[in-house]
Amino acid sequence: MPNNYCLEISGELACFTRAEMKVERVSYDVITPSAARAIFEAILWKPPIQWQITCIEVLNPIRWTSVRRNEVGAVISSSSVKQAMNAGTGALGIYIEDKRQQRAGLLLREVRYRIYADLIFDQSKDTDSQYAKYTSMFERRAEKGQCFNRPYLGCREFSCAFRLVTDVTVEPVPIKETQSLGWMLYDMDYSNQKSPTPRFFNAQINDGIIAVPKWNSEEIRG
Amino acid sequence: MILQALKEYYERKSMDPDGRIAPDRFEYKDIPFVIVIDEKGGFVQIEDTRYLDGKQLRSKSFLVPQAEKCTSGIQPNLLWDSAEYVFGLCVKEKSDAVRKKHDAFIARIQSLDLAEDIGVKAVCLFLSSGCHVDALEQSAHALEIKEKNPFMAFRLNNETDLVCQRKAVIKKVQSALLDGARGVCLISGETQTLARLQPAIKGVHDRNMIDRNLVSFNRDSFNSFGKTQGANAQISIKSAFKYTTALNYLLRRDSPQKMQIADATTVFWSERASDFEHDFSSLFNEPFKEDNPDNLVSKVKALFQAVDTGVLTRDNKTNCFYILGLSPNRARISVRFWQVATIAELSQHIVRHFRDLELIHAPHQKEYLSLWELLRATAAQEKSEHIVPRLGGEWMRTILSGQAYPEFLFQAVLRRIQAERAVTYPRAAILKACLNRKARFLNYKEEEITVSLDKENKNQGYKLGRLFAVLEKIQEEANPGINATIRDRYYSAGSCTPASVFPNIIRLKNHHLAKLEKGRVIYFERLLGAILSDLSEFPLRLNVHDQGRFAIGYYHQRQAFFTKIHEE
Repeated sequence: MPNNYCLEISGELACFTRAEMKVERVSYDVITPSAARAIFEAILWKPPIQWQITCIEVLNPIRWTSVRRNEVGAVISSSSVKQAMNAGTGALGIYIEDKRQQRAGLLLREVRYRIYADLIFDQSKDTDSQYAKYTSMFERRAEKGQCFNRPYLGCREFSCAFRLVTDVTVEPVPIKETQSLGWMLYDMDYSNQKSPTPRFFNAQINDGIIAVPKWNSEEIRG
Repeated sequence: MILQALKEYYERKSMDPDGRIAPDRFEYKDIPFVIVIDEKGGFVQIEDTRYLDGKQLRSKSFLVPQAEKCTSGIQPNLLWDSAEYVFGLCVKEKSDAVRKKHDAFIARIQSLDLAEDIGVKAVCLFLSSGCHVDALEQSAHALEIKEKNPFMAFRLNNETDLVCQRKAVIKKVQSALLDGARGVCLISGETQTLARLQPAIKGVHDRNMIDRNLVSFNRDSFNSFGKTQGANAQISIKSAFKYTTALNYLLRRDSPQKMQIADATTVFWSERASDFEHDFSSLFNEPFKEDNPDNLVSKVKALFQAVDTGVLTRDNKTNCFYILGLSPNRARISVRFWQVATIAELSQHIVRHFRDLELIHAPHQKEYLSLWELLRATAAQEKSEHIVPRLGGEWMRTILSGQAYPEFLFQAVLRRIQAERAVTYPRAAILKACLNRKARFLNYKEEEITVSLDKENKNQGYKLGRLFAVLEKIQEEANPGINATIRDRYYSAGSCTPASVFPNIIRLKNHHLAKLEKGRVIYFERLLGAILSDLSEFPLRLNVHDQGRFAIGYYHQRQAFFTKIHEE
């Protein structure tokens, strides 16, 4: 039985971008399992371990804000990089004033979640160690607030604060929301490295709690 | 959620026989010219379907097979298209390109494989006869067609429907196999054929009246994971058709379910059919010129009654209402707000909004102000093009969700007041509503600002505003017909830094009082005494919220003076 850990995460702004509204960003109503996984991985990840999100609890009411940001519309193509590498010289820069794109975003405001995940250990990838090594590593790091990179809420610019939760009974209760959230992005399937494909699940929030199915369950479509 | 709700709306509407929503693979298109031919392919005439609507010429709208989406290159529509495709007319392009277009158009009709159908056969005969261009020349509209390249369609002279509306054609179009990769659609959750490009949304406009896309990936930097175009977001062709048709239906010209709030085009619909769908726009929209101007007031009163007495039907408590605010950004559409609430909740939020705005006013002014009037009050010279761009959308969002109004609304109004030195009814109402809502939302223990003059209000900003109004009144009575009162000279300084201004104008009032008769002097002295009683000293500076209270206090006191006059 893998250990289940709980983190409370909070941030001022969050954007869990919908796949279909990626350009003019519209966020999902709640954190996606893939974003939750990224937060756990920011604290601890090694090749033998994997995080499986089991549950998401919404602690703050869902509030929105809309912003407009100046971004860039061009991409430096890999072929021009290769060309420059082979030739020894080349102009690869983008003049951002010429390639401006203004993109609007409908973001979430003042979010706070409790996310639960199982720490899954693949013995075959690390034959010398025990499960306890990774669990104690994670507990130590999460207690101290250590992370490889700052955890973020959907987009890198929205960093979040995290806290390891050991006793759920003394924590605030989730909000009283019960509704269907439609098809939500579950995660990306990276088994085909050249073309990762998205997987979706039917998200249902019951009294502020979203039960997240496991990777291999039938509820994941994609 | 948004696309899913739109898809469900389409499904609800398409089951309704009265709903004018296009069936699968068809759309409503304005076609100004119809080519009438007989069964043997002979030319009869070219019909002009346009009619005069006010000052504009509007074409009749027909149900035609869905347009092919292609910005460059050759993609003919089925049995209808622009004059370039239909006749091979050279309008803007060279003759080879147009030739190819015309051939492609004919080829598309032939690929339908409906040679036995009378209508299709007639069209093929007409186009292959070679004299169709001469037929065009004979018609009276030839010049116009050659210049403007309008859309045209075919009709048999003994029928009322267009050839593309014939039963056999409809059947063929709707049963055609879809072309594309298969995958799980993120709207329906089923494995279907995926769309590479989405149909365009018409009706979200700014200066350019172009078709835009809600879901589009038209620049390299928008792609993720190496995918291009539609592969970035897996949506099936069927679902794409449903949600775009639903959205286009809601955005159609003269739609009662659409309204423009500053730069955000807003559409709304309910999960199940309801009257609220029709009433919603009259609560926020500017009434049309021919309509009863008291429409807003009567609708708001009806809503108040419904919410106060709790006479909302059981259905309203579960029927979800969706409001989507869209705004254009180049060739794309961005979502400004998306609100989902039951009709019951929404009614309460709207009632709350109007209640918060209640303020004492002159008898000729309206009791309930429309959103447009309020927005214009925040703009320079009260012109709608000077309204702060994000304000309309943000404000709408906070009204519908019952939250505090946006901070920059408060600041925009204060800035207007200080620039124009005029505290008008809409501006004072907005300030009052902003402050009260903020206090309620953040659970402050501050006093709530009342509808009319509140003599008990001890806030220093409010009292100073009242004081300013009294001093101005004294000056006006002492110098009747004066052009510039202390308001024009000292309002901004008085509301921001009272200590620099008030000692001076209080000293001046004595000279003004000397000119008035004894009765008035006593009245004003008593009033000043009451206001100044708790004020120990004039503060050096007033914070932004107190400046708002200053404006409201000023307004309340002025209104109190006028009401007295009316009573007398």
